[in-house]
Amino acid sequence: MHWINWTIVAVYLTIVVVDGLRRTRGTTNIEGYFLANRSLPWWAVGLSVMATQLSAVTLIGTTGQGATDGLRFVQFYFGLPIAMVILGVTIVPFLHGAKVYTAYEFLEKRFDAKTRSLTSFLFLLSRGMSCGTIIAAPSVVLSAIFGWDITWCVALIGIPTVIYTVLGGVQAVTWADVKQMVIIVGALTAIVIALVVKMPVPIDDAFRMAGAAGRMRVFDFSFSLTETYTFWSGILGGTFLMLSYFGTDQSQVQRYLSAKSVDEARSSLLMSAYWKIPLQALILLIGVLVFLFYVSTPAPMLFNPRHDAVLMEKEPATYAALQTRYDVARTNRVTQSQRVVAARGNASAEAVEQVAFRDRQLSLDSVRNDALAAVARVTGESSRDVNYIMPRFVLDQLPLGFAGVFFAAVLAAAMSSIAAELNSLSTATVVDFYQRWFKREGSDAHFLFVSKASTAVWGVFACVVAVYAANLGSLIEVVNRFGSFFYGSILGVFVLAMIPRTNALGAFVGLLSGMGAVAAVSFGVPSVSFLWHNVIGAVVVVAVGTLLSVGGGTENSQGDSKLPGGQQTP
Amino acid sequence: MPTPFRTTLWRVLLMQLVALMLLGLLQGRYNLVAAP
Repeated sequence: MHWINWTIVAVYLTIVVVDGLRRTRGTTNIEGYFLANRSLPWWAVGLSVMATQLSAVTLIGTTGQGATDGLRFVQFYFGLPIAMVILGVTIVPFLHGAKVYTAYEFLEKRFDAKTRSLTSFLFLLSRGMSCGTIIAAPSVVLSAIFGWDITWCVALIGIPTVIYTVLGGVQAVTWADVKQMVIIVGALTAIVIALVVKMPVPIDDAFRMAGAAGRMRVFDFSFSLTETYTFWSGILGGTFLMLSYFGTDQSQVQRYLSAKSVDEARSSLLMSAYWKIPLQALILLIGVLVFLFYVSTPAPMLFNPRHDAVLMEKEPATYAALQTRYDVARTNRVTQSQRVVAARGNASAEAVEQVAFRDRQLSLDSVRNDALAAVARVTGESSRDVNYIMPRFVLDQLPLGFAGVFFAAVLAAAMSSIAAELNSLSTATVVDFYQRWFKREGSDAHFLFVSKASTAVWGVFACVVAVYAANLGSLIEVVNRFGSFFYGSILGVFVLAMIPRTNALGAFVGLLSGMGAVAAVSFGVPSVSFLWHNVIGAVVVVAVGTLLSVGGGTENSQGDSKLPGGQQTP
Repeated sequence: MPTPFRTTLWRVLLMQLVALMLLGLLQGRYNLVAAP
């Protein structure tokens, strides 16, 4: 990459770290460190919520998915605005009003300490691991693109993030998120403009080809439990997933707990409700435009340069045969694309040419699938070629400076997600475990030191997991799968908390039952899409919890909190 | 005076409806070839 691009990346990293260091001033206790003394404006919190959810995989993987699969992934987000509206009138006033540090602390106020500790422990377990994978995913891509060792890539992303998160706390995280969102949206806008300008055919003709290739299919109204992305799984399963994520996951809850008031917290969530679907549609549309750009411009058969080199070296004959097939299929598609454009205005001819274009595209896809299968056979790892489409396009095809802005945006997206995770992992560790079970009394300076140390330890842990992510693949998969067992179930516990007369026994047994039910469905009927797991988990917890609570009386109702901040005497 | 929350909710839902309609129009105009 050109030195000017590297300079852009370096300037971005410097600004984020220096600004983070500046934010260390004035923080003297853990309320300041973890919640910014509940003083942040809604727009900063709103941008932080969006930046946290938008990871590097969204920028490099989702654009690639747009190029290979089209727009239909946007259905995944259809439940988000509904979830935000529901949270705005339910969990947000509960949590903000309870003056808690963590969402799980609220569960002790409402139920008991073991429900709080279990949910917080499940959060630490799953998010601790996933934080490593959030660093690992872009590191693997950077490593293959620039030929660096994975450890250096992890260090490039991890070290600046850990520095500003440890020193600046939530203030640094939130204000860095604001800048990072600006960089991300700026980079995406610049790339859209560049793509439209560089498109060799009129955009309307280009979209006709995208339609013929199946890239403009947004809605799938089939009611299938096994199809991952349908309108119904997005609306229903997506709503439950987003309710769980934004309502009960500390990495998100902590964003809006730092808002000035309940109204500001609500407004910050509604920013996502307004803008998430348009933003996600834009990201996927960029992928579609990249696909269209490569219809007339030669594209590599494999976008991952490392895999391309390995296949060429290990099986030269297979590689050559695939390349020949690919060149023929690509030339056929170019010819057919010209026919689609030429047939414009003649409806019947256009329909015929579009079907022919679809078939040419399917031939090309089939060659690429064969190449990806060969890569998987030779390297023994999943190709994930889709993650390399966007970085290669930006490096190979866009003018000087774009690559710098794009890679700064990728780092920004990764860092914003990691910083929020580290900040929330530390909060749960200190507030839900250290302060709750080990040291109730202590000076502000002591708890502030422990909080910073805890953030640093989680940061180092995440970086180590990231470096070994390739070897830990199966373990991470197990943890992620385990995570999906309790995501909906934890939501169920929070719903129970809002139902009058439910008790601690119902909540605890309900939580275990919900997780058990999702595990049973996951192993028993593995074809059921994961989006439905959240619905199943939440419904089972609420049903079991309510049944067990009938006649059992109320324990620890919200008004029973004995000490401020949810700290109860044992 | 701040906007009442209910008004904001209706705005959110209206905007989503517009977003879905735009996506629907995009699909209706360009997604003309059935998958094999």
